[in-house]
Amino acid sequence: MEPAGELRRLLPAGAVIEEPEQLRTYECDGLTGHRVMPSLVVLPESTEQVQAVVRACHAAGVPFVARGAGTGLSGGALPVADGVVIALTRMNRILEVDLDGARIVVQPGVTNLQVTEAVIGDGWYYAPDPSSQQVCTIGGNVAENSGGAHCLKHGFTVNHVTALTVVLPDGELVRLGGRSLESPGPDLLGVFVGSEGTLGIATEITLRLLRRPEAVRTVLAAFDSTDAAGGAVSGVVSAGILASAMEIMDRLTIEAAEAAVRPGYPDAEALLLVELDGPAPQVEEELAAVEAICRDCGAWELRTAGDDHERALLWKGRKSAFAAMGRVSPDYYVQDGVVPRTKLPEVLRRIAALEADYGLRVGNVFHAGDGNLHPLVLYDARVEGEPERARALAEAILEACIDAGGSLTGEHGIGVDKACSMPLLFGADDLEAMQRVRRAFDPAGLCNPGKLFPTPRLCGEVPGPYRAHPLEQAGLAERL
Amino acid sequence: MPSVSEVASVEEAAELLAGAAGRGERVSIGREGGDVVLSTAALDRVLEHEAGDLTAIVEAGVRVGELNERLAGHGQMLALDPPGNPTIGACVAANLSGPRRHRYGTARDLVIGVTVVLADGTVASSGGKVVKNVAGYDLGKLFCGSEGRLGLIARVALRLHPLPAAARTLVAPAGSPAEAAAKARAVLRAPVAPSAVDLLWPGRLAVLFEGGRRGVEEQLGLARSLVGDTEEGDTVWAEARERQAGSQGRLPFPPAGLADALGGLDEAVVRISAGVAYVRSPVADPRDPAEIALAERVRAQLDPAGVLA
Repeated sequence: MEPAGELRRLLPAGAVIEEPEQLRTYECDGLTGHRVMPSLVVLPESTEQVQAVVRACHAAGVPFVARGAGTGLSGGALPVADGVVIALTRMNRILEVDLDGARIVVQPGVTNLQVTEAVIGDGWYYAPDPSSQQVCTIGGNVAENSGGAHCLKHGFTVNHVTALTVVLPDGELVRLGGRSLESPGPDLLGVFVGSEGTLGIATEITLRLLRRPEAVRTVLAAFDSTDAAGGAVSGVVSAGILASAMEIMDRLTIEAAEAAVRPGYPDAEALLLVELDGPAPQVEEELAAVEAICRDCGAWELRTAGDDHERALLWKGRKSAFAAMGRVSPDYYVQDGVVPRTKLPEVLRRIAALEADYGLRVGNVFHAGDGNLHPLVLYDARVEGEPERARALAEAILEACIDAGGSLTGEHGIGVDKACSMPLLFGADDLEAMQRVRRAFDPAGLCNPGKLFPTPRLCGEVPGPYRAHPLEQAGLAERL
Repeated sequence: MPSVSEVASVEEAAELLAGAAGRGERVSIGREGGDVVLSTAALDRVLEHEAGDLTAIVEAGVRVGELNERLAGHGQMLALDPPGNPTIGACVAANLSGPRRHRYGTARDLVIGVTVVLADGTVASSGGKVVKNVAGYDLGKLFCGSEGRLGLIARVALRLHPLPAAARTLVAPAGSPAEAAAKARAVLRAPVAPSAVDLLWPGRLAVLFEGGRRGVEEQLGLARSLVGDTEEGDTVWAEARERQAGSQGRLPFPPAGLADALGGLDEAVVRISAGVAYVRSPVADPRDPAEIALAERVRAQLDPAGVLA
């Protein structure tokens, strides 16, 4: 890249990486099937340095991609060929802890867990908890609008960010929001969070903190079918109980977890984990109701955790479910789809039928409370044709989710992974409206290009079939 | 006097807007200044309510009160309680909320999908009808607070909540900024989960507890032991909303600076955790000028011909 010399002038020694061996570290994120070598990686330490780098890129017409810990699962941090990767890992300071205002100000390279660790001693925590929380960064969480098992009750990243300092794609600085949650005008902060790094780079992030709940109780219930477990989830919802998490694992994932980490789960067709948090009297009241609902729905074993140690045991198998698949299959593909919760039984039956059609096994572990499925498609890469079959099966599952009124992704993002699937959910006018928003932020199209939107280069000239958007279906097909 | 055009469908709205530029008309949506006022009064259908999913899809002209009456039959609610009985479209466009924003947030936290009509008649949707969804830009959030300047909000998909079985209110005296701040801090740090924490300044701190009967009673008891109680009951919420309705400005303040903020106010309804005071006089735009400029660039992209007044 032309401005390499300029970037070395702008940044401290060692903050510009050009050696191919070192660049290789940055050639992919958690979506390891996609790799692109960047021409340069820079490691800025301040907002001013990010601004200087972005200004230089903008002046030279060079594309750039912001990157946190590189744990994203949709290729959002995949470099652009001949572009610059702006790695924010050195911007890892907590700038201010404002417990009186229940806010914390951090740089983007601070990890999700570090935020909670900074305040837990005083009885506070940061609610969104993606499963990669030990390593994933807040900057990446903002880009992806990360969720986690507990977002059912407490919401997603976007519900917890109150202010951002953003370096816009031309290098100008803008401050969105503040310590207050009230701000006039269109919610630019709200559209920035979850824009997958395409609208700018957040360099200072103000988050809302919550008081640590007085009580947390977890119930594990064993059922003879995922339908029965799903029935219990519906029962909890109908009873007006807002659990902080409701997770279901099927037999295949239970067996894998058992083989990998020996959580000692009951030998069941389906397990349901329900977690409740809040003031102790409220939680005890809800716990009794949840246990009764589970029994009514056919649960034949119930285990309840009271302390952190017991909770960790119940969660152990669930948290290791993805990695545990390595025990039962040489390779697996993790899908991320969403359906309205009431459509879960229907979609699970459809997935079972697809397993038979494609001759592959699928493990199901899902955030049942919000209908977010993570089917694990098992395959063996050494068998000719299996990787392609697995990929096709994963896509068929996604289409089943959309047919049921759901979405392409609940938390992993679109990135490059699903950009070509966007036309399954959105029509040309929907995508064009989003592109107009993008052009307002990034008229030159240099900020993380090639992500989120389908492009002819990525997807071929013909986008996939458009089906009526769920709102349109419900709205009696009023698209023009 | 501008003429009023009531649209009864998304198509009608698109047709009206698509033709406006050619006719040299400027269109107002929920504000003043246009040649034609676009009214959503006839966009008043509830299109879908999936009780089991706690979601609903409504047209923008549906009013909060009517929607909630209908949902109450299923033990559910839209957790928005702004004063008056505004339309859902107005709640989104003007970012309206009430005391219970403390627990449930505002429209931006409850809107899960939108269909909008842009100034050139383009119909665009984003989000969907599932609560958890990160596919594409969230135009629903962008249109929160858009004041009719970015396009017509035509349809809205909403996240619903269960109706609480019980509700109890605590009202405590709060005469000075220091007393108000100390009592608010005590409640906000206690192991209780209120739905609303309002300061009716000067004078009273009001705290609402909702949920199961036993949990609510115990939380009320604990809070009372911390801050005292003047036993006024739940009429205080009607008063808070009425005073909010009569205010002219929303003054943002850092929640940590509550006492300082109160020192400069003679009368206000204050949402403490959100950091906003509803005050009598209009408030200057608190945004970074760079944010105002960026919002203008978004507006210019979505309405390049300047059709929307």
